[in-house]
Amino acid sequence: MLEFADVSKSYPGGFVALDRVSFKLEKGEMAFLTGHSGAGKSTLLKLISLIERPSVGRVLINDVDLSRIRRAHIPYVRRDIGIIFQNHRLLMNHTVFDNVALPLVIEGFSGKDMVKRVHAALDKVGLLDKVRCLPHTLSGGEQQRVGIARAVVNKPPLLLADEPTGNLDPDLSKDIMRVFEAFNQVGVSVLVATHDLGLVARMKYRTLTLKQGKMINDGLLQYQEDPL
Amino acid sequence: MSILFSGRVTSGASAHKIGIFRRFVMFWVNHVRQAVASLGELWRTPSASILTIGVLGVSLTLPATLHLLVKNVQQVSDSFTQAAEISLFIKEGSSDTQIRSLQQILQADPAIARVSHISKQQALDEFATVSGFGAALNYLTDNPLPDVLLVLPKNTQADSARELLARLSKERIVEFGKLDIDWLTRLDAIVSLLRQAVLVIAVLLLGAVLLIIGNTIRLSIMNKKDEIEVMKLVGATDAFIQRPFLYSGIWYGVFGGLLAFLIVEAMLWWLQGAIISVTSLYDSDFSLQALSFTEFASLMSLAMALGLGGSYLSVRRHITAIEPTGP
Repeated sequence: MLEFADVSKSYPGGFVALDRVSFKLEKGEMAFLTGHSGAGKSTLLKLISLIERPSVGRVLINDVDLSRIRRAHIPYVRRDIGIIFQNHRLLMNHTVFDNVALPLVIEGFSGKDMVKRVHAALDKVGLLDKVRCLPHTLSGGEQQRVGIARAVVNKPPLLLADEPTGNLDPDLSKDIMRVFEAFNQVGVSVLVATHDLGLVARMKYRTLTLKQGKMINDGLLQYQEDPL
Repeated sequence: MSILFSGRVTSGASAHKIGIFRRFVMFWVNHVRQAVASLGELWRTPSASILTIGVLGVSLTLPATLHLLVKNVQQVSDSFTQAAEISLFIKEGSSDTQIRSLQQILQADPAIARVSHISKQQALDEFATVSGFGAALNYLTDNPLPDVLLVLPKNTQADSARELLARLSKERIVEFGKLDIDWLTRLDAIVSLLRQAVLVIAVLLLGAVLLIIGNTIRLSIMNKKDEIEVMKLVGATDAFIQRPFLYSGIWYGVFGGLLAFLIVEAMLWWLQGAIISVTSLYDSDFSLQALSFTEFASLMSLAMALGLGGSYLSVRRHITAIEPTGP
């Protein structure tokens, strides 16, 4: 599904954000990506969502080399990836419905079909009763779940999340992770970047750990022996 | 269309195997929906929209007014060219027979439409009634006015009329001929100068309209930078993001054009009374020409084209420049 082959990314000025990172995420697999801030988590996600291009190496999704994707085709690649943002990036002056419907509108859905899908997505994150609300009337956790609904509404095969529990309390974090697990169980590949190591250890999923741009751990994380 | 996952159903249309015709209809329905949505967007920021529309209206009013001015002046000069009449003043002492035979000869001339004779006495009578010096003229011992043959050429164009004048002036009993056409050519020259000036001013103002719309759209793009980034992140193409801005450009054009039209109409209404009193003094049948439907339609389509053009210039530059910086 997702493959990094010896990927390095350096920024102008010589800062190396990723250093020969290789890993493979299978179809239907769920994994965590951890590391301190500045370890390269964000860069890695940016390479997948084509916000940045790698300096060296190849990023492949479903065996398609992303370096072959022309600029004009980037939007179509992004439609196949559901992205959840740390600051959820909702359109604050649009209703929850409009926010969740955005990817569908972009792909040309309309009418009943769109309403049905939006309601289904909001139902999965448990916010069906907030359809007509504006985002700023919701709590932080609810806003994050609206962001998740938006990311999954067009049923992408790959889901990326950047610090989805960044500013939520532990109970809410657990709820959010449950939602990801639920999507994973229906066959969606999920990659969650987080620095909440306690949560990662409790969840018992494959964990990729980055340190100063290098992949230092790939496998189950033992919370007791902190590798960082 | 999915590049990464062949066979993945992504678009709403392909999910249902909708026919070409339905898709064609949906395409237009979507455009109308987006057009209405951008109208709503203008409505939500009334003060900024009204300012822009006001500036556009005023900028479009000036070229439209100048165009009307040229059109009306031209109407005046046209009515004069149509009446190009040659007056042949007959030499003192020519006999009535000579005059009558000349009149017959001219009548037969293929280049001449009509010849009429105004005798000395008729001329004096007319002068007496028109000038109001009737009583004073009675003191004259003899009639100082010459006989006149009024010749109306078949071809009323300035050049051919002038040729005819040269030919007729050579007639033996003709003292001299007069064609009041010099001031007409001058008027023509002034009108064409005016028209050129209007063209230059119009081009400048329309350029200003283009820039104003471009700048307004740029500001609204900047205001929506975050929204555009989010849309790009969830897979919107540049074309999709551009469309509402292009529609707002067209709407600015529509409202600016309408405003310009209303201002011009109001101005005509305001000036009508004054112009009628002036023209009635000159005893002319001049009537003020308003904008015709074609001119109104071209004003509107020009305004809309400028709106679209201005927003396109701005959208092309600024929407590609906004790239999401991070997930």
